[in-house]
Amino acid sequence: MSYEPGYAGLGAELGLRDLIPSPRHAAAIWRRNARVFSKLWKGALLPTFLDPFFYLLALGFGLGTYIAHGINGIPYKEFVAPGLIASAAMWSSAFETTYNVYFRMNELRLYDNVLSTPIEPADLVAGDLLWSASRATVYGTVVLIVVSAVGLVSSWWAILIPPFVFVGALCISVIGYSFTSLIPKIDLYSYFFTLGITPMFLFSGIFFPFNQLPGWVEVVAWFTPLYHLVEITRGMATGPDALQILMHTAWLAVVTALLFPIPVRAIRARLVP
Amino acid sequence: MTAVEDTGPVVLARELGKSYGERVAVGGIDFQVPAGVCFGFLGPNGAGKTTTMKMIYGLATVGEGELRVLGMDARTERRQIKARIGVVPQETNLDGDLTVRENLIQQANYFGISPDDAAPRADELLEFALIRDRADERIHALSGGMKRRLLIARALVNEPELIVLDEPTTGLDPQARLAVWRALERLRRQGVTLLLTTHYMEEAARLCDSLLIMDEGRIVAEGDPPALIREHAGREALDLDLAEECDPDALLEALGELANGHELHDGALTLFAEDAEELLRSLDHDRFPTESAMVRRATLEDVFLRLTGRSLREGE
Repeated sequence: MSYEPGYAGLGAELGLRDLIPSPRHAAAIWRRNARVFSKLWKGALLPTFLDPFFYLLALGFGLGTYIAHGINGIPYKEFVAPGLIASAAMWSSAFETTYNVYFRMNELRLYDNVLSTPIEPADLVAGDLLWSASRATVYGTVVLIVVSAVGLVSSWWAILIPPFVFVGALCISVIGYSFTSLIPKIDLYSYFFTLGITPMFLFSGIFFPFNQLPGWVEVVAWFTPLYHLVEITRGMATGPDALQILMHTAWLAVVTALLFPIPVRAIRARLVP
Repeated sequence: MTAVEDTGPVVLARELGKSYGERVAVGGIDFQVPAGVCFGFLGPNGAGKTTTMKMIYGLATVGEGELRVLGMDARTERRQIKARIGVVPQETNLDGDLTVRENLIQQANYFGISPDDAAPRADELLEFALIRDRADERIHALSGGMKRRLLIARALVNEPELIVLDEPTTGLDPQARLAVWRALERLRRQGVTLLLTTHYMEEAARLCDSLLIMDEGRIVAEGDPPALIREHAGREALDLDLAEECDPDALLEALGELANGHELHDGALTLFAEDAEELLRSLDHDRFPTESAMVRRATLEDVFLRLTGRSLREGE
């Protein structure tokens, strides 16, 4: 297998000083990405608007018609709708931190320039992750507006969904970024999507609940970030249980913090050998 | 531009080394770059020039030895060093998703310059790079020469005390190269220290006050261009195109001490001497027939080829 230029694996362990990002420098990275997005958002948002619409049509209104009593007392389309907010955020985060980051790093060689300014690897990774989560929140919010507009949200708590989408997207982004910084070759993205993102989309409780399935299914799902984000969005859309929301949010935040050193170390090993 | 106030050298390297796995890129070198000069690194591909530059501007960690930039330790004070230097990389890595002006404004953001200050600074630099009329175009619409000038302008957003340029004119046509040289000469007049790598001898001779020739990770010669030529080639050179029946070894023996050095390559013999005319007169033309003979001044090119050889090098 021929490796991408500079492929260096995980890299050396770093001290706290090299792992804590500087907010000012991370913000400069965020701003660069936002600047580019501000030119493209019209074209980029339309598919996001259409995508959940088709899922709702096919599953909520199509398949849902045959699920007469709904799920756990909720009509099927109302069951699916909040999950689609979470999945839009997941797809956005997954693409941003794989193909987009890869392109900036290896094709545009932007990071070589960025890292020869006062910006250090931790700032770069933090700025990119915060941007990815922001972009995902925009996408998730668009879907929230769509499903609310067609009357599939029953609780006013749903207004508070976007900040939670941000937290969930941050977690999915750090996973994608870790993958990008560690893979020796772009071809491996197909594994990330077929073995990671797509199964997560199908088996994280968006389309069916776990209570009729063997217990291990939910245990496996518990280890995926999307499961927690779906639990939060659905809870918010149908009437939340504060403790549950708090626990799911904590899971996402803790996993994000635990994984953050991985891309920082790998990016540093790769670009500052 | 601000002149350097501290009295010490802008760059100080002691026993500086760097290896990538088994391959030694830089093998323990010592050098000093004084403030306010244009300092050149010459060397064939793979000599270790780029690696040395990357250690200075923070895209490679210091392997062995000591490296101080603007008085700071390159191992531990990377962020502070980077804040005060400008970098023109070998590879054009402008932001293709942004316009020309946005590239400069975004670069100012990376340095923590406020948006209010960044916009006028960008306009100033567009003027400097002679691309003000292309300010709102995307990068891919620019010519190679314009991209280079923009790269140099981008390296100036933070008003650096030291600018590191890795092969600033490679791949440019003569007009574009001249424009880059003029820009660099303007910067030097303003008192900015320039550190550049090149493998164009005329570029080194024109721009650099002081030169250092590297080969295979080591320094093979150092000095200002005229001194290097005097020391390693002499004042003048005599290019002889030897006839087939001419024996170069016998010729060299016959000349003895008259020539203070030579280069032989496929029947082309270059002799170095203080007075090449005299050398030519003293040559026994019946015994050593030549197709052509030319007297000229010795150049850096002679020095370079004498010190680093004529064989082709692998890419760095």
